[in-house]
Amino acid sequence: MGRKAVITGAGLVSPLGDSPAALHDALCAGRSTSGAVDLDPKKYFGARNIRPLDRTAQLVTAASSLALADSGWSDDDRRRHDVGLVVGTVFSSVRTICEFDRRMLAVGPEYVSPLDFANTVLNAAAGQAAIWHGLRGPNLTIAAGAASGLQAIAHAAGMIAAGSCDVVLAGGADELSPESAAALERLGLACSSSSRPVPFGGGRDGFAPGEGAAFVMLEAEDLAERRRAAVRAVVRGFATGCGDEARVVAGALTDAGVLPQEIDAVSASASGSVEVDAREARALDAALCARGHTVPVIAVKACVGETLGAAGALQLIALLEAARTGVLPGVPRLGAVGVETARLDLRAGARAVDIRTALVSSIGWDGNCCALIVSPLPAAATGRPGYDAQG
Amino acid sequence: MGRATQFAILAARLALADAGLQPRDVAPARAGVTIGTTSGEPKVVERLQDSRAAGGPDDDALRELAAAYPSHLIPARVASDVGFRGPALTIPTACAAGNHAIAHAVDLLRAERADIVLAGGADAFSRITFTGFARLGAIAPDTCRPFDRHRKGMVPGEGSAMLVLETAAGAARRGARIYAEVAGCGLSCDAFHMTGGEPSGAGAVRAMEAALSDAGLTPDAVSYISAHGTGTPANDRLEALAIARVFGDRARRIPVSSIKSMLGHAMGAASAIEAAVCALATTEHRIPPTLHYDTPDPDCDLDCVPNEARELHVRVAMNNAYGFGGNNASVLFREWRS
Repeated sequence: MGRKAVITGAGLVSPLGDSPAALHDALCAGRSTSGAVDLDPKKYFGARNIRPLDRTAQLVTAASSLALADSGWSDDDRRRHDVGLVVGTVFSSVRTICEFDRRMLAVGPEYVSPLDFANTVLNAAAGQAAIWHGLRGPNLTIAAGAASGLQAIAHAAGMIAAGSCDVVLAGGADELSPESAAALERLGLACSSSSRPVPFGGGRDGFAPGEGAAFVMLEAEDLAERRRAAVRAVVRGFATGCGDEARVVAGALTDAGVLPQEIDAVSASASGSVEVDAREARALDAALCARGHTVPVIAVKACVGETLGAAGALQLIALLEAARTGVLPGVPRLGAVGVETARLDLRAGARAVDIRTALVSSIGWDGNCCALIVSPLPAAATGRPGYDAQG
Repeated sequence: MGRATQFAILAARLALADAGLQPRDVAPARAGVTIGTTSGEPKVVERLQDSRAAGGPDDDALRELAAAYPSHLIPARVASDVGFRGPALTIPTACAAGNHAIAHAVDLLRAERADIVLAGGADAFSRITFTGFARLGAIAPDTCRPFDRHRKGMVPGEGSAMLVLETAAGAARRGARIYAEVAGCGLSCDAFHMTGGEPSGAGAVRAMEAALSDAGLTPDAVSYISAHGTGTPANDRLEALAIARVFGDRARRIPVSSIKSMLGHAMGAASAIEAAVCALATTEHRIPPTLHYDTPDPDCDLDCVPNEARELHVRVAMNNAYGFGGNNASVLFREWRS
């Protein structure tokens, strides 16, 4: 890689809370609440008019707002320096486009709102969040299936390495719309309504469709240094692909210049999917040179459900919080594991870990995959980060 | 498989055939696909709503929403059709998407994350898109007249273009015919309005300047500009203003044309199609006109190559694209000299 990208902040909205610490607590307690996020308008949007923002845009705006605050990029700083935004998503706001078309059929094309039309395009949430926060750098939306969120983060790291931008908010979001939930169920991907998902579990039968949004702030290392920002982690490398996930995971290690035995933990995308979890287990074990059983694995989707575009960023944030606290959450309800998944070091309960370097993997049911290597850093005592610090 | 996916697969096959790529030339894991789109497969949504209106929703229409609607399926199916297994993703950034997809492909090649990337855009005509632009008052009553004083809007279109992008070394190794070099890319966001441009044109200026800086070129080097040029009163005025801010006195002397006057606006595919035109302009040294141009507009004080193609030695062509969400993307194509 060229210029190094570092992580200087995180923000999320999820059914398990809206801070990395709350997410970590819930995961360690094995609390499982996939479903709607409580988006209290006053809490996240103050007195500003949120009418132009549909639900996906609200999720993106709220989570990105928390990440901006966490990394110390103030309104004033953003007026003076272009900040990019990369949003990973699977469905964008399918609810908005369905509603637009439904109204057109019901009341006639002369009566649908042009404002609603603006929100039917697949990048509407990224555009709305850019307007809300004044983000004038490259503004991208990434669709790469269930790997979209992690791929957005990799994409941002790539843009920083290439020099096309030096500070980027990256992550993703998907809302749980009635349409997308029903569609995933019809495709046979959702677990039965009476069960809870068990990633890597022997009797798993699908994932729990969920929603959320999560972003990390990526900056060029030298910019973060000049701002005296607290650096949470260094992005060491990544790889992406479509099909052949074992090669992608191995490719990320090669890109990072990290040996398989240096990986202290894995944050997996396993969701409870019968087929994809097995593929991920095989890929991880192969890339770790058949040492999969020695590397602790977490699977946040056991608790937070399959949040699609948000998932990769949630996996990364959960991993960074595990590194900071030294406690790795377990996979609740994990009983007997499957044949392939027996290759991994999985536990039902939380345990102590010392994470210097870790792997995040994201594998979608349509073949998209992405793997990212990070080295979390111990919390350093720094001054209040600010753009002025660079003077 | 939806209509935009079909367009993309056909364009990809044509592009690979045109590039003369043989299977032995391609290591599948090193070959990627990046696609820009505005709406993906909106007809899936239309079928769902039709089925609901008829008393449904029926199971097939709902199933399709997961099996055919998500836009990442377009590059996934292109990759599967042509046997590529490297990075495959969609960058759905509205009407700037084709240029965004090309910019990402360039990043992948420069970072040596791929050897070959099929990059472009695809969009299919839909009632949702047509109705939306009609409600915005952006559709021309008769035809599209970019930069003309009496322009009244755009004409929605559809299609796909895919470019085969590879490293210069790789292309040389296999003895490929090279159309052009992608010299630089620049991206920015207005962060101002979802459907309207920032009135000073500052976002478009930053994208053009970033592309020039990425290419290590000054504005003097640009021979031709393929405009976003939708034919709406606001877009063309703002684009002319932004071009004037970047090129100064030269703005009136650089030929600027919009092929949307002939093809309509193919949404996310438009800038990919225009990218192909830019690459060809550096090879053929002939630039396409702006059709239906009749009355000059003082607010668009440009040489917009009225109505007839022109012979011109094109050393560098600039491709501009703007989209909903305030997206701006400029890409530069340079004449290839081995």
